Amino acid sequence: MLDSLSSSLKDALKKIAGKTVVDRAAVEELVRSLQRALLQADVNVKLVMHLSQSIKRRALEEEPPKGMNLREHVLRIVYQELVALMGGAGKVDLSQQTILMAGLQGSGKTTTTAKLARYFQRKGLKVGVICADTFRPGAYKQLSTLCAKVNVPIFGDPTEKDALLIVREGIKRFAETEVVIIDTQGRHALEDDLIQEIIDINEIAKPEHRWLVIDAALGQQAAEQARRFNEAIEIDGVLITKMDGTAKGGGALSAVSETKSGIVFIGAGETIDDLERFDPDGFISRLLGM
Amino acid sequence: IISEKDIAEPLEELEMALLENDVALDVSDAIIGYMKEDLVGSHRKIGTSVDTVVTAALRGALLRVLGEGFDPIDYVRAHERPVKILITGVNGTGKTTSIAKMAHYFKKNGFSVVLGAGDTFRAGAIDQIAEHAARLGVKVIQHQEGSDPAAVLYDTVEYAKAHEIDVVLADTAGRFHNRKNLMSQLDKIRRVMKPDLVVYVDEAVAGNDAVVRAKDFNDLVGTDAVMLTKADMDPRGGAAISIAQTIGKPILFLGTGQGYDDIVPFRPERVVDELIGAEG
Ligand SMILES: Nc1nc2c(ncn2[C@@H]2O[C@H](COP(=O)(O)OP(=O)(O)OP(=O)(O)O)[C@@H](O)[C@H]2O)c(=O)[nH]1
Ligand SMILES: Nc1nc2c(ncn2[C@@H]2O[C@H](COP(=O)(O)OP(=O)(O)OP(=O)(O)O)[C@@H](O)[C@H]2O)c(=O)[nH]1
Ligand SMILES: [K+]
Ligand SMILES: [Mg+2]
Ligand SMILES: [Mg+2]
Repeated sequence: MLDSLSSSLKDALKKIAGKTVVDRAAVEELVRSLQRALLQADVNVKLVMHLSQSIKRRALEEEPPKGMNLREHVLRIVYQELVALMGGAGKVDLSQQTILMAGLQGSGKTTTTAKLARYFQRKGLKVGVICADTFRPGAYKQLSTLCAKVNVPIFGDPTEKDALLIVREGIKRFAETEVVIIDTQGRHALEDDLIQEIIDINEIAKPEHRWLVIDAALGQQAAEQARRFNEAIEIDGVLITKMDGTAKGGGALSAVSETKSGIVFIGAGETIDDLERFDPDGFISRLLGM
Repeated sequence: IISEKDIAEPLEELEMALLENDVALDVSDAIIGYMKEDLVGSHRKIGTSVDTVVTAALRGALLRVLGEGFDPIDYVRAHERPVKILITGVNGTGKTTSIAKMAHYFKKNGFSVVLGAGDTFRAGAIDQIAEHAARLGVKVIQHQEGSDPAAVLYDTVEYAKAHEIDVVLADTAGRFHNRKNLMSQLDKIRRVMKPDLVVYVDEAVAGNDAVVRAKDFNDLVGTDAVMLTKADMDPRGGAAISIAQTIGKPILFLGTGQGYDDIVPFRPERVVDELIGAEG
């Protein structure tokens, strides 16, 4: 892990590689290139500043453990600090549960709803999906087409305009179903009516999980958006989508740090099987620019 | 005379402000770099503070990056009809919705429009654009899901010619710039329908990746103008600066919501006011 870093970071690490005594200038240079890598990965600017302060302090103050050279020592600190920020992988259990999907417009909720349905179905659970997006043209068709491919039943009504009604009936319809996933329309922090709608959906469905879907390319808005969703419905897991592009997903770090939750899954492709459980090591490597 | 030392601190603060507003790191560096060149050694009028001088320089630098903007109505008036507009971009940025808004905008300005359902790949994509077309009362040319997108868009252009339609708006499936086969499919579409304008759509809330993908789309299929969506999520969206600086193409419209009227012609001064106001 951490072998294939961005070249500037690698150069900075090289400078301290041979050293046995901590060299302030070398550590500072390393922290600067680390900062650049994280900013480029869309990690929140303030988080990056905090993080680099504590990395610098620890690298200069802490004795490297026996047998560990300075380079390994600093890398370990970087890794530990990032892991602390991520708070580990979010919990996914294979029991009876309802999952409410939330997120910005176009973040990937509908696609990920179908991927999750597939995931739980493969684990041998009975799954049903509710289309509570009564706004976007073609939303029902999109979700029903995806679900039909894997024979997952869907509840919805493309002519109905009231999302709350759909959720109420959908929950009844799937009373005997083990995993129920509710897809919702996209919304953002400044849309008070829509934030109220998801609060209402949450009260009706009383889901075990409320997952926030974050596009890997989302920039500095991630923190503010996540904060608002968390206030509204208490987010307990973050899903990062579109990790098959070139974006690094640093926005998701802001989201987990705002919501005090963890990353549950990574979406990396447009087909229904392109879903992976979250792996902190892989994610950190990518953040640092491998 | 202003020295490098005088402006070091204000410039550092500025760079932070740019980054917090999603101007990509390399782009922020470049802008700060220009400003330093401009400012160091220049004369400061008695009574003006360094901050005032720096803010004025930033305004100048940002306006230079953003360029003039682009008036689509003038463009259509000045060109042979149909004017064919191909829409490109990565997944979920708002291409199809923006097409519906542009159709509405052109109609309001007295032009006839036809839509081409060139996303034959994503589930529900054809239904989505067809429903927008029905609501707007414009024609959409569509084939089956899974069919060749170049063929649909070719048919759309033929329809426009036969019916003397002013503007063709061609939708395409979202795709990532690092997928070679999907990008060459887009290039094929371009060769078949021969657009007058390729409009690249990205969202105001995108971070550093905005630079990477704008560059790749520009290199691989070409971009004539940019539409920046979801500006309502983040009115300061530094992505405008990142993209303009990276590919040097004008920004056509901002998308400011999900309604058909939520489309505004891009005014560079407005964006700069938002950014600088935010900083000050
Ligand atoms: N390449 C790639 N594309 C994805 C991924 N997840 C979603 N997409 C695509 O992103 C676009 C938007 O996805 P949707 O699932 O429609 O997003 P949404 O959040 O439901 O959108 P709204 O309902 O309009 O808010 C579609 O083109 C999807 O195919 C992913 O992991 N990788
Ligand atoms: N808030 C806001 N939402 C927007 C804006 N433009 C588009 N959207 C929403 O973003 C979501 C995705 O829009 P689409 O038009 O389907 O995006 P697309 O780029 O065509 O997506 P794919 O074809 O799947 O790649 C939808 O929910 C739109 O309503 C905008 O300016 N503001
Ligand atoms: K998006
Ligand atoms: Mg959806
Ligand atoms: Mg589309």
